[in-house]
Amino acid sequence: MLGSADFGSAVVIADLEAGIGTLTRLGDEDVDVVLVVVEPTPNSLEVGARAAALARDKRAGRLIVVASRVRDDSDLASVRDVFGDAEIVVVPDDPAITGAEREGLAPLDVAPQAPAVRTLAELAQRLVPDGG
Amino acid sequence: MRVAVVGKGGSGKTTTSAVIARTLARRGLRVVALDCDTNPNLGISLGLGDEETERLAAMRDELDAGDAEHAPSWDELIDRFGSDGPDGVRLAVVSRIQNPEPG
Ligand SMILES: Nc1ncnc2c1ncn2[C@@H]1O[C@H](COP(=O)(O)OP(=O)(O)OP(=O)(O)O)[C@@H](O)[C@H]1O
Ligand SMILES: [Mg+2]
Repeated sequence: MLGSADFGSAVVIADLEAGIGTLTRLGDEDVDVVLVVVEPTPNSLEVGARAAALARDKRAGRLIVVASRVRDDSDLASVRDVFGDAEIVVVPDDPAITGAEREGLAPLDVAPQAPAVRTLAELAQRLVPDGG
Repeated sequence: MRVAVVGKGGSGKTTTSAVIARTLARRGLRVVALDCDTNPNLGISLGLGDEETERLAAMRDELDAGDAEHAPSWDELIDRFGSDGPDGVRLAVVSRIQNPEPG
């Protein structure tokens, strides 16, 4: 799928279908980074673990786990239990995100300083450091 | 650079994709955001609004209903069937033809 396309110098962010279906169909080395987004719930962590295993099998580049809607240390511990040695970014549970959604607006426009938004903006920076 | 955002339904994929896309675009990078979901709503989180998001989704459904021989190339999909959002993010809603089922 993505592997057949030439996007030139663009950074491509692909918001894939829920689950691991699209990932199973991805060719080897089609992507440079896989962001595995998980909530601290058993089902979400299970899907995330399968996605991470697939991404490693397919040599899909850098793997980063985005732990989303984390409320406390026990939430974070449940993510670390599954993804022990992976690179993990912790996005707090943040009412600004659901608020933006209710208004049909971009979180970055409504609440640029909200903790979850700032964490994700920092992740962007980490993916493509300045000057890189 | 190509970034795939994956996870269970409702885990936060679209929120993550949208904030990253706009943050990078703001820095002047050319960013293409691809909405591969069957129920596309990345446009909303990027700030293109409800109407434009629905227009892109409807266009994707039309493309999918058409015959595969006239399926657009990636370039066409992005240039003709995409839309510019805030900070210059280029959004395209990816059809099942670009994102085929196995077999
Ligand atoms: N950090 C957060 N804090 C609070 N709520 C959040 C956070 N991130 C996402 N949400 C909320 O969780 C829900 C799912 O988020 P989002 O749409 O980003 O997930 P998704 O993985 O794209 O879902 P889908 O599989 O349905 O496409 C939304 O209602 C969103 O507002
Ligand atoms: Mg989504």
